[in-house]
Amino acid sequence: MKLSDRLTGLGLVALGVAAYLGGSKLPPVPGQQVGPNVFPMVVGAGLAICGALIALGVGSKFEEEAEAEVAQHADPAAASAPPRVGPAWLDTLRTFAPPLLLLFYVLVVERIGFVPTAFIVVFATSLAMGARLKLALPLAAVAPVLAHLVFYKLLRVPLPAGWLPMPW
Amino acid sequence: MMATLLEAMRMVMAPDVLIAILLSAVYGLVVGSLPGLSATMATALLVPVTFYLSPIAAVATIVTASAMAIFSGDIPGCLLRIPGTPASAAYTDEAYAMTRKGQPELALGICVWFSAIGGIVGTLSLIVLAPPLAEMALNFSTFEYFWLALLGLMCATIVARSSPVKAIASMLFGLLVSCIGIENPAGTPRFTFGSPNLLGGIEVIPSLVGAFALAEVMRAMTAPEPPKPERRRFGSLLRGMVGLTRKYPVPQVRGNIVGIIIGVLPGAGADIAAWVSYSMAKRFSKEPEKFGTGHPEGLIEAGASNNASLASGWVPSLLFAIPGDTITAIAIGVLYMKGLNPGPSLFTEKASSMYALYIIFILANILMIPLGIIMIRLASNILRAPRAGIMPVIVLLCGVGSFATGANLFLVTTVAAFGVIGYFMERFGYPVAAMVLGIVMGTMVEQNFVTSLIKSDGSIWPFFSRPIASVLALLTFAALLWPVVAWLRRQARARAVQGA
Repeated sequence: MKLSDRLTGLGLVALGVAAYLGGSKLPPVPGQQVGPNVFPMVVGAGLAICGALIALGVGSKFEEEAEAEVAQHADPAAASAPPRVGPAWLDTLRTFAPPLLLLFYVLVVERIGFVPTAFIVVFATSLAMGARLKLALPLAAVAPVLAHLVFYKLLRVPLPAGWLPMPW
Repeated sequence: MMATLLEAMRMVMAPDVLIAILLSAVYGLVVGSLPGLSATMATALLVPVTFYLSPIAAVATIVTASAMAIFSGDIPGCLLRIPGTPASAAYTDEAYAMTRKGQPELALGICVWFSAIGGIVGTLSLIVLAPPLAEMALNFSTFEYFWLALLGLMCATIVARSSPVKAIASMLFGLLVSCIGIENPAGTPRFTFGSPNLLGGIEVIPSLVGAFALAEVMRAMTAPEPPKPERRRFGSLLRGMVGLTRKYPVPQVRGNIVGIIIGVLPGAGADIAAWVSYSMAKRFSKEPEKFGTGHPEGLIEAGASNNASLASGWVPSLLFAIPGDTITAIAIGVLYMKGLNPGPSLFTEKASSMYALYIIFILANILMIPLGIIMIRLASNILRAPRAGIMPVIVLLCGVGSFATGANLFLVTTVAAFGVIGYFMERFGYPVAAMVLGIVMGTMVEQNFVTSLIKSDGSIWPFFSRPIASVLALLTFAALLWPVVAWLRRQARARAVQGA
């Protein structure tokens, strides 16, 4: 019985109940017995039931078996590899760097343009993965320009020019 | 028939299609071989490119790239003991043991040879299975489609290598995501929280890109860098393959058949096919003690299986728009965009396109042998590419690629959100593929459910009274009860052991 199962299970119960209640407030379609509320309510109820079962630890045996099979095939050396040095919060930040950088992209790309934004995204991801400047800088300089060439010129995607318009 | 076949040949032999096949083959081989980049990711990142291709060329890129990527995932498995794609995980150990015994040529040769044969046999199953099923499906009404969709969702939860309860929860979560927006039979905005962006609903492609590609990059951020292969020169790769084909006919055919069946089951793809086939090979082998020590039998069976599942995954996708695996979940979106709407009539109205699809599949699998051999010889160079040089580009492509599918920045936000969701799901043991299936099929399930209820005037009876519908309903309930039966049997066995 894992703590994570209890937490995610309860989270799913909350989500299911919310979906059920949210669905039940949807207005019915006049003259029809089955409105837009039925499907979210069914799904929400199912989700709440599954969440409760997960929180109670039902079905975790199946999972342990699959995990044991994977572990049996995995490289024991890789499993026991020493964890990276550095505080835990830094690892968390590194893990969430890709989605955060995409949100950053959404916020600024219209203002400063595709190539500068993409430069920052690639450069920051590369550094967060532990690349040296010797690799990160040229990569961040070349990849956005190539991506712009392919997507803007060949695939005609309207990428904003911003501060650094490309010659094509 | 002959005229259609000739027409299909003409479609495939067009220069743009041939170039698309060649380029996507190289792309698939490279992406598949890099650990952490899966075949599904390769397919998802191809979608924006397919927008600008002819329908046949678009389908060709997906078919070719995914087939190559599934084979190519075997290469780092053999050389580094790290599967390039999840589909190779089941037999990575075995392949690496062969390399350690000094037989990397044999291991890689088996991978390329039996992958190609598996792919071709899988294609034959698609050719044989699809048309008669299409004929049957022409008589289907919303009742049958409702059960079929539900059965598909349930199958995905049985075969998921996880707790069935978690798989069902993932699937329901996907269905809930599909509720967002106004695309429901009544056209009522649901769960939009006043946001205009949510009115249109959650798009499938960016959510897939997030859950499969971005989440993978997130995991790679803190995982230790995989080791680099030593440079080595390989001898002949195909030597002895014909002999092995003759020596192990049963494992090979069984692998093909299991792969085809798992491919047809919705949501279960190459990775599950390989796991099932490897354990079957071990169970039925005359020399099970040799497994894990570099024995070719399991490698042959599982290698034949995962590639066979790729082609048969297209059967439910083309017929019912029910994805056979995560790759076809993406392909269905592309088919709609290209006017090749999945459905039984595809096989009568667009018969030449279907023949073209078969030809592309066979062509891709034949091409796999020469290109695969070149790839194996270059692999030690390609696998030296630093991960910090690849993953940042993937992040950028996730963003731009999704933006390209609709020129809306909300699509990029969707990628980020589903990256986080996919990361946490994987971390806590919730199968991502089941959620994806829910997102892809949610609208279809609801539409058929509501239309059927309106037709039957709110009565449940017609859901069970039509013959095919009743069979499908029975299967669905069996699928739902299966985990309970398995659990009870285990309890009984445990009690028997205790009593003895």
